[in-house]
Amino acid sequence: MGAAFDTIAFKASLCDGCGDCMKTCSEVKGGASRLAIVPGAKEGGFELAICRQCGDPKCVQVCPSGALAKDGDSGVIGWDAQKCVDCLLCTAGCAYAGIAVDPQAARVAKCDQCDGDPACVKACPTGALEWRRAGSLYREYGDKEDLFVPGLSGCQGCNSELIMRHAMRKIGRNSVLATPPGCIPGMGSVGYNGKTGTKVPVFHPLLTNTASMLSGIRRYYDRIGRKDIVVMALAGDGGTADCGFHAVSGAAERGEKILYICVDNEGYMNTGMQRSGTTPYGSWTSTTPVGEHLKGKTQDAKNLPLILTAHKCRYVATASTGYMEDLYEKLDRAVEASFEGFSYLHIYSPCPTGWRVPSSKVIEACRMSVDSNFVTLWEYTNTAGLRFTRSPDNPIPVVDYVRTIGKYRHLDAGQLAHIQAKVDEQVALLKLMAADSPSPPAAHRAPGGGEAPAAAGSLSGPLRQEIARN
Amino acid sequence: MSDVKTGKVIVCDGNEAAAWGACLSRPDMVAVYPITPQSSLVEYLAEFIADGRMSADLMDVEGEHSVLSVLHGACLAGARTYSATSAQGLAYMFEPYFRTPGLRLPMVVSLVTRDAVSPTCVWGGQQDAMTVKEVGWIHMYCETQQEILDTIPIAYKVAEHPDVMLPVNVNHDGNYLSYGVARVELPDQQVVDSFLGEKNVNWHACLDPERPMAVDPLTGGSGGVGPATFVRYRKGHCAGMQAALSVIEEAHADWGRRTGRYWSPLIEEYRMDDAEVALVTIGSMTGAAKDAVDEARLDGRKVGIVKIKTFRPFPVQRVAKALSKVRAIGVVDRAVNFGWNSGPVYQEVLAALYHLPVRVPAMSFIGGLAGADITVEHFAGVVDRTLRLAAGEAANGPVWLNEND
Amino acid sequence: MPEAKYLLVGSSHAALEALRSIRQFDPDGAMAMLTQDTHPPYSPTILPYVVSGRSRPEAVLLRDRTFFEANACAFVPNARAVGLDAKAKTVKLESGETWRYQTLLIATGAAPAIPPVKGLDGVKFHVLRSLDDAKGLRSAMGGARSAVVLGAGLVGLHAAENMAEAGLSVTVVEMQGHVLPGYFDAKASERIEAAFAGHGVKLLLGRKVVEAAALDGGHSCRVMLDDGKAVEADLLLVATGVRPAVDWLDGSGVAIDRGVLVDEAMRTSVAGVWAAGDVAQAMDFHTGKPALIGIIPTAVEQGRIAGAGMADDPYRKDYPGGLPVNTYRFFGRVALSIGQATATDGVEVSESDENGYRRIVLADNRLVGYASVDQPFDVGVMGELIRRRVDLSQCKDTFIARPADTGRRLMSEQWR
Repeated sequence: MGAAFDTIAFKASLCDGCGDCMKTCSEVKGGASRLAIVPGAKEGGFELAICRQCGDPKCVQVCPSGALAKDGDSGVIGWDAQKCVDCLLCTAGCAYAGIAVDPQAARVAKCDQCDGDPACVKACPTGALEWRRAGSLYREYGDKEDLFVPGLSGCQGCNSELIMRHAMRKIGRNSVLATPPGCIPGMGSVGYNGKTGTKVPVFHPLLTNTASMLSGIRRYYDRIGRKDIVVMALAGDGGTADCGFHAVSGAAERGEKILYICVDNEGYMNTGMQRSGTTPYGSWTSTTPVGEHLKGKTQDAKNLPLILTAHKCRYVATASTGYMEDLYEKLDRAVEASFEGFSYLHIYSPCPTGWRVPSSKVIEACRMSVDSNFVTLWEYTNTAGLRFTRSPDNPIPVVDYVRTIGKYRHLDAGQLAHIQAKVDEQVALLKLMAADSPSPPAAHRAPGGGEAPAAAGSLSGPLRQEIARN
Repeated sequence: MSDVKTGKVIVCDGNEAAAWGACLSRPDMVAVYPITPQSSLVEYLAEFIADGRMSADLMDVEGEHSVLSVLHGACLAGARTYSATSAQGLAYMFEPYFRTPGLRLPMVVSLVTRDAVSPTCVWGGQQDAMTVKEVGWIHMYCETQQEILDTIPIAYKVAEHPDVMLPVNVNHDGNYLSYGVARVELPDQQVVDSFLGEKNVNWHACLDPERPMAVDPLTGGSGGVGPATFVRYRKGHCAGMQAALSVIEEAHADWGRRTGRYWSPLIEEYRMDDAEVALVTIGSMTGAAKDAVDEARLDGRKVGIVKIKTFRPFPVQRVAKALSKVRAIGVVDRAVNFGWNSGPVYQEVLAALYHLPVRVPAMSFIGGLAGADITVEHFAGVVDRTLRLAAGEAANGPVWLNEND
Repeated sequence: MPEAKYLLVGSSHAALEALRSIRQFDPDGAMAMLTQDTHPPYSPTILPYVVSGRSRPEAVLLRDRTFFEANACAFVPNARAVGLDAKAKTVKLESGETWRYQTLLIATGAAPAIPPVKGLDGVKFHVLRSLDDAKGLRSAMGGARSAVVLGAGLVGLHAAENMAEAGLSVTVVEMQGHVLPGYFDAKASERIEAAFAGHGVKLLLGRKVVEAAALDGGHSCRVMLDDGKAVEADLLLVATGVRPAVDWLDGSGVAIDRGVLVDEAMRTSVAGVWAAGDVAQAMDFHTGKPALIGIIPTAVEQGRIAGAGMADDPYRKDYPGGLPVNTYRFFGRVALSIGQATATDGVEVSESDENGYRRIVLADNRLVGYASVDQPFDVGVMGELIRRRVDLSQCKDTFIARPADTGRRLMSEQWR
């Protein structure tokens, strides 16, 4: 895998221009802020100037003194104050004003990502700035052995292959993998006619008995002292929530030491996009079609991970491929927990084919599903209870997410209101559950909330600081 | 014989005998879910495990579907496995049941046979086992409590034989055998251990990181190597079934040498040497049939019995040969073959008779459904009717033995 | 005969970038870099800082032996190319050695242009193009009390500042009417000129040197100006510009105007031969005609494109045309310019004298040039707005009122 690095991401829609990031940066770095929030095109909107730590950095290439270099490990473009002759050619190389003149020091200044712990992100009260560690995670896992054959035949844009390959890269060869009927073996995980699709022991359980077969495997390996094998499933939502639920529930109740990963694409997509118990309200599917009398699914989805918490599992968590660092952390904990008890990881994964989402928009859809609280990211243990791993505060309207998905194209205002109400209800319930659990992460403030002073045109303190920087 | 070791004698019912048979076979895992009339069997197993008499992992799971599923997993990991079920439990188990022989998993599962709902009933009958006869398991039917106990280790020997590698149902009749008490001799553990030897249940297909492989890839289809590959699996399965015929005989003989108890492996011929008519029986009904035949013999009527022990694979040649000398045959079933308006064993026997150069008249008798008794008197009636058949009276049937009870 | 699939002649920005570009596509094709220099690669732009003592000569080297080993490239110093046989695909060196190539990059840069001044060849004068030149000038400064600099371009002004700061009495003679012609208009230049005057540097603008003579047995010199005046000094620096180093290409068949003519892929007129950097005369962004734009950003871009072409990388992009860029520091102050910063005809100009000087040049509601003194701006951001020909009609007033914020905003929007 090629180089990929951690990055400070900016979500313009959440920025209220408070300037806390710049203030903090300036304090921490003892000089001008290394990032600048500037007024956006729309009233009240904001944009960001910051070093993007380019992969092909022109600032480095044009530097005559060798003072700039991209670090091969962190990806950070470092600035050597000793070597720099203050010629400013680097500023001509940067298209994003990521390296600019600090007027006080009369030298250039740029973001160094605070050695992987950026102060601006911690200072951001709305979540507009985010420290995204996907890059180093990709690098870490890119170095590990890929345990699937090349050329799995998934649909273009499908995230299941990403989940499969990366999960198994992490877990490694000392594992037994169940991939029950569905898209994952449909892609070729178990192979065809005598040929395997993976390098680890892999099998098709029945759609209905995944958790039970794994229970038997785990118990026998424990019996003969081979306790370090990860016994796991990469299953779909239909088999897990519907016809295989008895097995999941039974194994969870018995506390079987297995890792059950459910890849939820909200229906029976491999067989042609039929409705499942986890298909959300309003969805078009091939068995909840849209016509004169029917307008998609008329029932709400069952919340499978929440049901699993009622089993007092060792570990239950939700994840999304839109937030890979969160997913990876949970995968770590889920693997660990699977040696102690039933460990359940529910990964929301859009189906570009069945949901009518362009393949290029799948990750965006993932992120919007989380940002709108349609999907919530949390984890649960039977000792610490439930906690959000991403704040559900200040969501974007669900309609913004729903509009990106073709299977909701037909929804009327009433249906949209129903979905929003169910999302709010679900979050309220989760918040109640989380309230009793220790130390939830600080909730983000709403962008444009009461304390937010700035807007385009009315330049407040931090923005004046920004002007001064020029 | 000098190497026969006589074991401890106990008095127990058929379910306990089965539990002892399982216990002595030292499975690594036992998965259970209760169902009448099997329930006491799994209670005995749980008790054995609780008392430390048996070292298996006990999997109390949420239903029969998972009973067989956890055992699939364990077996693919290398475990010797055991369970027992009946009727609705077997029906619920059917999905993984169907898959077991295809995966060539050498498991042993007792079927405590029971009539199938509906009409709702909870009593003995063989409708459950007979319904699954075409799935590809080996089926053996026991006549007595002792035979139940002895047949379970024999079943493991057969199942795990490299030429066979197929699951075995050891069947005993619900109620009559499951709850009926008799004298049973427990073989010495060492005898069973040396009889079974080292287990190797997953040499052909395993889920083991040390021997990574895909178990059961998508197979078949109309292109490429698909058709030939699928046929190879199905043909291999049939070959395993046919190989089992001789393996079953060898295993029974071996067991006899070690315990002194020689059970008829495929069929038992009772007073067939000079028989002019024959009854065909299966399971525990055979005891009453033997009494009826003994009484008929006292009257000078030359009647014998062919008891089917191994129903799958069906011992076609043995059955045909045994029945080749008689002039009429009465087949008594404890289940119904709805499509043929007869008993299922009757239909099997007819198919075997096709191998004979002459046509032997035969009639179907159905009795013992849903716990009803088939008494000596019922069998005396069967003998009478079969003799009349031999004498030229036209066949009619099926005859429902308990129709007027 | 040594041979390389990729032969790079020259060792500065263009050649280094070509190396990187080739290696992105072809990790192990045989490569060699030949340079007339005796040192590992460095940038000519760094030399004024070596002169001032701010940079130690050994600290300005851009690549070391490890780099060349890691990139499987033979680095050959002291290898001055003297001839190209494009038919035989060979390059002849001064040493007599001949290299065979499959693809060749001409990246020999530029050499100081020495004006035809009477008597100059009898005077010991300095130029500033190589590290050795810089060391020589620095050492000469130590024993001098006065200096005269011919040319008020970047090299001349940098050196003049360095020498003035070192305590020398400095005179700069420039033919044009103001300093840094081409980069800055008269108003901007005035501020720079005032700074030099304020630091005691005498600027003689609009003056030509007509004669030079050695004095004191060669320890000092005198230059005669076209107005009849004379200037005497211990040290003479000739900084009247550079011209592409193309002499070695005589008779090779490679088409040359003032520099080596190249197309949008940096190919010369001869198959298998590319050129990039100060030696190349490539398309100008604004005029679309071949021009000499001897700055690092164009050298880098041309080197990358040439390298991609040499490696036959299918993702090679065409050269969009060179854009003049200048970032100039003087006495701690800043002067910046990009694009057609001095244009006056057919353009819309916005000038401001508040908090420094700023000149924004627009054409057809698009930015075409930007210059400032004492008011730093994001040169790269403005460069992108020019290169992408971003339509500013929706935000022109905002842009002129707050160019930095607006430019940053526009580019931030591009990122998504």
